[in-house]
Amino acid sequence: MVLKNFKDNVIEAKNLNFKTIIQNVTFEIRRGDYAAIIGPNGGGKSTLVKLILGLIPYDSGTIKLFGKTPTLSALKKIGYVSQGISKLDENFPISVHEVVKLGLIANKSLFARINRSDLEIIDRALIKMNIEDLKDAKISELSGGQRQRVMIAKALVNNPQILILDEPNTGVDKQSQINFYALLKDLNVKENITILFITHDLGVIVDDINKVLCINQTLLACHDPRQIYHSEQLNQLYGVDAHMVCHHH
Amino acid sequence: MEIFQYTFMLKAFLAGTLIAAIASSLGMFVVVKRFSMLSDALAHISLLGVAIGFLTSIAPSYSSIAFTLVASWIIEYLRQNNKLYSDSILSIFLSGSLALAIIIVSASASFNTSLFDYLFGSIVAIDDTDIMIIMLLGLVCTVTLYANFQRFLYIAFDEESAKASGINTTFLNYMLISLVSVVISVSIKIVGALLIGAMMIIPAIIAMQFSKNFKNSVVYAIFISIVSVILGLFISYYASLPSGATIVVLLLCFFMISLVCKKKQY
Repeated sequence: MVLKNFKDNVIEAKNLNFKTIIQNVTFEIRRGDYAAIIGPNGGGKSTLVKLILGLIPYDSGTIKLFGKTPTLSALKKIGYVSQGISKLDENFPISVHEVVKLGLIANKSLFARINRSDLEIIDRALIKMNIEDLKDAKISELSGGQRQRVMIAKALVNNPQILILDEPNTGVDKQSQINFYALLKDLNVKENITILFITHDLGVIVDDINKVLCINQTLLACHDPRQIYHSEQLNQLYGVDAHMVCHHH
Repeated sequence: MEIFQYTFMLKAFLAGTLIAAIASSLGMFVVVKRFSMLSDALAHISLLGVAIGFLTSIAPSYSSIAFTLVASWIIEYLRQNNKLYSDSILSIFLSGSLALAIIIVSASASFNTSLFDYLFGSIVAIDDTDIMIIMLLGLVCTVTLYANFQRFLYIAFDEESAKASGINTTFLNYMLISLVSVVISVSIKIVGALLIGAMMIIPAIIAMQFSKNFKNSVVYAIFISIVSVILGLFISYYASLPSGATIVVLLLCFFMISLVCKKKQY
């Protein structure tokens, strides 16, 4: 039996540069990490995620996924939840089941249809997210918290090794945020999915995450989040007298 | 029935229902991408293509398709590269192409009447070649939508996630806009440049109000569009009204009814 190395790097960036938005950023995310990216608006958080996902080309530096130069098959091991759900057109007629099904499409050939085993995968993802009763509901009729679960279910149908989320809690109330982070932690611990997400709610998740990337054009810190409780780095990051209010749960 | 004794009316029903089905199914994707003005802009560009065809003695159908295709690719390039706001791009193309078409027409008064036909369309002046082209186009659209329905839906729903999942969003966006442009170019002779936009967009807007999922919305849009064409042709025949305009007015009536019904639901 081959023992799996749970501490290998799944994302590595070295001296990454993109225009003036990302400057000389170096960091690594290890398998099993539960990591947050924080920083001010316009600080390059979303751009960094897009560079990792290959959505935009970087100017210089290197990115490695699972220890290798990114390939399509490596990208398919990453589940991505964009900010799209917070900008959803309320009139868009699409059901929960249809949204989750979209997660399987990229791996299908042109004329291949969704088969019985695909439907079972979709059902399992819906059950895992506890939204199986909502599968026929129109997505715009759901609450912010329910929509997040749908988007995670869409990402889970491909059995991802990494889950990347871009500000998943935009427009969601505090209790739903806490529930959502508990769900993410669950996926991280029970499913061993490496999680990297952009957030402004460091105070809510500081007890759970094991790594925080502070980005403001350049990477100011990449370490244990508890080290920045009273850190000067928060002030440096946001450019104001910032301090963290922790919500222990 | 008297109406079915005339070959031209049978052709009108066949061509009309085919265009209704094709235009409304593509229209669903155009509407959810918030690109509704696209059909009007492409229709006016198509009209410019017809005018240039008349001016240069090239078959207007061919020049119209060529012009609209190239313009649609430029529109998509500008949209994808965030060069300008989408609605600004469409406004520029819409008014610019119409202005050029008017200049060409005024410079050469000899084909005024022919161009007028393309402006308002004539569903009862369809020949066998038109039927063949529309059937071929219907086949191409059906196969393309069957193969790429979920991919087009994914791009319309969340283009960034679709791209991140490995879908070639650039190619598929060009494919969809190309299909829309060819459908509009072929349809303006029959439905009219000023009316094809309504046939593409209104059924989708009505359908979206009554469906919780996208697949059903497409089915409803096709159904509404076909019913409007059939009813519109009957009414226009017996009331001696222009067919294209009658179909669009019927669609508007259905839209008003849908608004009332939707309001009563809440």
